[in-house]
Amino acid sequence: MLRRGKDRASVLVYFDVDRSAVEAARRDPRAFEALYRKYVAQVYNFALYELRNPHAAEDLTAQVFLRALSGLSGFREQREPPGSSFRVWLFQICRNAVSNERRRVRRHPVAPLELALEIASTDDVQAAAVERDQLDQAWQAIGRLPEERRQALVLRFVEEMSTREIGEVLGRSEGATRVLIHRALQAVARQLGRGSDAPRN
Amino acid sequence: MLPETDDAAIQADAYIDALLAGHLRSPVAVPGDAISGPLGGQSGVRDAIRLLEKGLPRFHPSFLFEQWLADQLRRQAEAAAGGDGAGRIVPIAVIRASTEANGRLADRRLLVGGAIASGFSIAGAAMFAWRRGRN
Repeated sequence: MLRRGKDRASVLVYFDVDRSAVEAARRDPRAFEALYRKYVAQVYNFALYELRNPHAAEDLTAQVFLRALSGLSGFREQREPPGSSFRVWLFQICRNAVSNERRRVRRHPVAPLELALEIASTDDVQAAAVERDQLDQAWQAIGRLPEERRQALVLRFVEEMSTREIGEVLGRSEGATRVLIHRALQAVARQLGRGSDAPRN
Repeated sequence: MLPETDDAAIQADAYIDALLAGHLRSPVAVPGDAISGPLGGQSGVRDAIRLLEKGLPRFHPSFLFEQWLADQLRRQAEAAAGGDGAGRIVPIAVIRASTEANGRLADRRLLVGGAIASGFSIAGAAMFAWRRGRN
């Protein structure tokens, strides 16, 4: 009974919520639009945090979805750990596209903080000042991190992925990803001047 | 027994999960405040987590771009399904040039972090962007 329960739990944990949509898109590519609408903002977010340029982020988002549509027949959902969901697969494509874009541009992108600050407008002036200050600090903090640490934090806090999913995107174990995120947080803490108690490795 | 780093990472991970799940609506065990384990005293990590949880917004691409890409995908899908959609792709640069010339549509990028968190629909956000564009 215990084993049966355990098996059932495994199926629940690793079931891809997009399975029916993926199967529909395989049968008829026009059904891919549902997956696109669901994930376009997430992919765009990741691209924007990485490239820090709205037009470049749009171009990359377009590349990712066009690639995903043409390569959908190659996507295979895996039920067993480490597992693979459509979202993880999509972000793996996105991460590769970011790397390719970096290689093409051959420079680390500047961080136009103004972009984020302009966007974060609100009618409440006091709340806006607080939000802008938080946004300023957070934007700069993650911008200074090495690529993999930054990507892990963006996937965790912006995309709200689980550590396991992030590990699949980054090609790391869940435990290694958890430690990676923790070290990234320690680095952010040091930048904020609040991390003197944190190890520097 | 787990190495100290792993233990601290697990606690930080659980704290992030709690924040993301509850968005501070309910009390959460705070590393450094309430836990006297390996994270006790690491208030810097806790502050970093709180800053990133609150300070990193979600962005939405312009709705013009979203629609443009939907059209491109539809054409590619139609071509894959045996139709003739592939020959009509419009470069995004053309769309951008025309909207920037138009002026009002040039910056419709929208911060919808709060909107996503509170379950606003894309349609609602689109209406908001449309109204901002008209002001």
